[in-house]
Amino acid sequence: MIKNEKIDLKEFLEIRKEVLQTWPTGQKVSLDEAIRFHRTIPEERRFAWVMKKAREKRQTLLQPRAGVALIDDHIKLLRYLETEGQADLLPTTIDAYTRQNRYEEAEKGIEKSKQAGTSMLNGFPAVNYGVEGCRRVVENVTKPLQVRHGTPDARLLAEITLAAGFTSFEGGGISYNIPYAKRVPVEKSLQDWQYVDRLVGFYEENGIRINREPFGPLTGTLVPPCISIAVGIIEGLLALKQGVKSITLGYGQGGNIIQDVAAITALRELAEEYFRQEGYDDFELTTVFHQWMGGFPEDEAKAFSVIALGAIVAKFSGAEKVIVKSPHEAMGIPTKEANAQGLRATRQAINMVEDQVIFKPEDLRSEVDLIKQEVRCLMNKVYELGKGDVAVGTVAAFEAGVLDIPFAPSIYNHGKIIPMRDNEGFIRIFNKGNLPLSEEIMAYHRQRLMERARAEGRTISFEMVTDDIYAISKGRLVGRPR
Amino acid sequence: MEDKTEREKDTIILGVIGSDCHSVGNKILELFFTAEGFKVVNLGVMVSQQEFVDAAIETNAKAILVSSLYGHGEIDCQGFRDLCIEKGLDPIILYAGGNLVVGKTPFSVVEAKFKKMGFDRVFPPDVDLKKVAELLRQDIQEKFGSDSREAKLDKSIQAKESL
Repeated sequence: MIKNEKIDLKEFLEIRKEVLQTWPTGQKVSLDEAIRFHRTIPEERRFAWVMKKAREKRQTLLQPRAGVALIDDHIKLLRYLETEGQADLLPTTIDAYTRQNRYEEAEKGIEKSKQAGTSMLNGFPAVNYGVEGCRRVVENVTKPLQVRHGTPDARLLAEITLAAGFTSFEGGGISYNIPYAKRVPVEKSLQDWQYVDRLVGFYEENGIRINREPFGPLTGTLVPPCISIAVGIIEGLLALKQGVKSITLGYGQGGNIIQDVAAITALRELAEEYFRQEGYDDFELTTVFHQWMGGFPEDEAKAFSVIALGAIVAKFSGAEKVIVKSPHEAMGIPTKEANAQGLRATRQAINMVEDQVIFKPEDLRSEVDLIKQEVRCLMNKVYELGKGDVAVGTVAAFEAGVLDIPFAPSIYNHGKIIPMRDNEGFIRIFNKGNLPLSEEIMAYHRQRLMERARAEGRTISFEMVTDDIYAISKGRLVGRPR
Repeated sequence: MEDKTEREKDTIILGVIGSDCHSVGNKILELFFTAEGFKVVNLGVMVSQQEFVDAAIETNAKAILVSSLYGHGEIDCQGFRDLCIEKGLDPIILYAGGNLVVGKTPFSVVEAKFKKMGFDRVFPPDVDLKKVAELLRQDIQEKFGSDSREAKLDKSIQAKESL
């Protein structure tokens, strides 16, 4: 049975032997060599150091998503994003086969990409390339590199990419399972991510600080802030237990400016509070704001507007990092040019608002307080179900629907809650399913939703949810009747 | 909406193919086609060709609607029609829709590719769903029209006899 306890080193090394055997490239991973290599990486190429500096200097750093099937093309892509896109931080987005540990299919994808002369995979198949291939990527860029993916069992991927010299690893046992998989039990993914965090803890014990970033946006579709924040706090706590020190917690843009700024504020304050409450005080906490993760307009001009709004809100929220979208979002994976355009549009918007203070904390307080109350309702129940153990509580919480992520593909998720926008575009909860939110909180949500129903002259219905999901791609925030 | 009994409704299979876990559109398609009067068997995300075909055989489905959002659609859909034929599903209607290939490609190119693979119709991500439902009804009528009416007739006779 899972417990929120640090994995014993001997046990870790036992599991490690099995993990490295799951694909031939695993055999070439050497922790000694990896640690020696990491010691040669200068500060400004280390994710944790750069994120910490951003916090001190109150900067919002820019990072795109990007990954293609072939190594040389991938390096070209990243270099282009450094030079033409002026990215502060670089990604390596992993393809969907690797995310499901289907390395044979990834191998076919590499072959087909070579034949086609273009990428037939939606990301970089890092496991197939092994430490050597990934090291080539690391050695050919100048900005800190992070692995971005969506892998429920990322143990081998972490072993290989961290050994190659990547300095940050995205994901977590909830955020890379429930929104990304169909049949992976929560307990299994939590254990596999304890392993990843333990690996990061091992590097830490050897003087190498690796940044970890739970995936905040979850399904990116009308996710109420309290759910995203509770998941981030839980994954942060699980990571700290395994020895992780540098943690970046995320949140995906919802669309209402006040709610988005309030959410990042609540996330930062609550994470700090919960981490200290469990006895940690030597962590480096930063936040990341994801530009709109839902459907985009096809018209590139309109897409730039969505990107710019995300940039502005990211800056107002004080997030240390913003994950940038491209004008090709509606069509799928962007060209390198479109990707760089997204970065430049974001930079311009951020620069124009960076010296302005629009929101005073007191303007936001009521929304921040509401989100905090909601998160406390969820966290209290998780702790109660786990009798104080957050890992045990998380497994029980998903079983009971106490944690429930809207529109997620996993069969281990209840999928009972119904979120929708209120009349001002705030994401509210119409049906709470089994979320342990108080009557008072739910009465407020319903009241705000009734305002919209009255304004639109229709009753609250599932149609509103569908309208909301497609609203931004069709040109507005709230899905009004046509 | 046409008022059909459960028995008279045409069965269609929905699912997101391959290693794709985009679940939002899939849930909406299920609600939409159900409201349009189809009997929807939704296999959810990450469905293999074999699972689609097995479900179609098991439920006597008239159409399979394959979604793909993540760009691997081209690889995942190769040989789909052949598998259908191999399993004796010759007349089944195959639709594909979503962001079917990696990168921004003119839709006409994508459409030609998937039609060559044996898909009857191919749709871009922003297609009007009402239009798809209309085409689907037409295609079912054309391919199964007389058969399905006879089959229904048989069933209604049986139903009466059993009364």
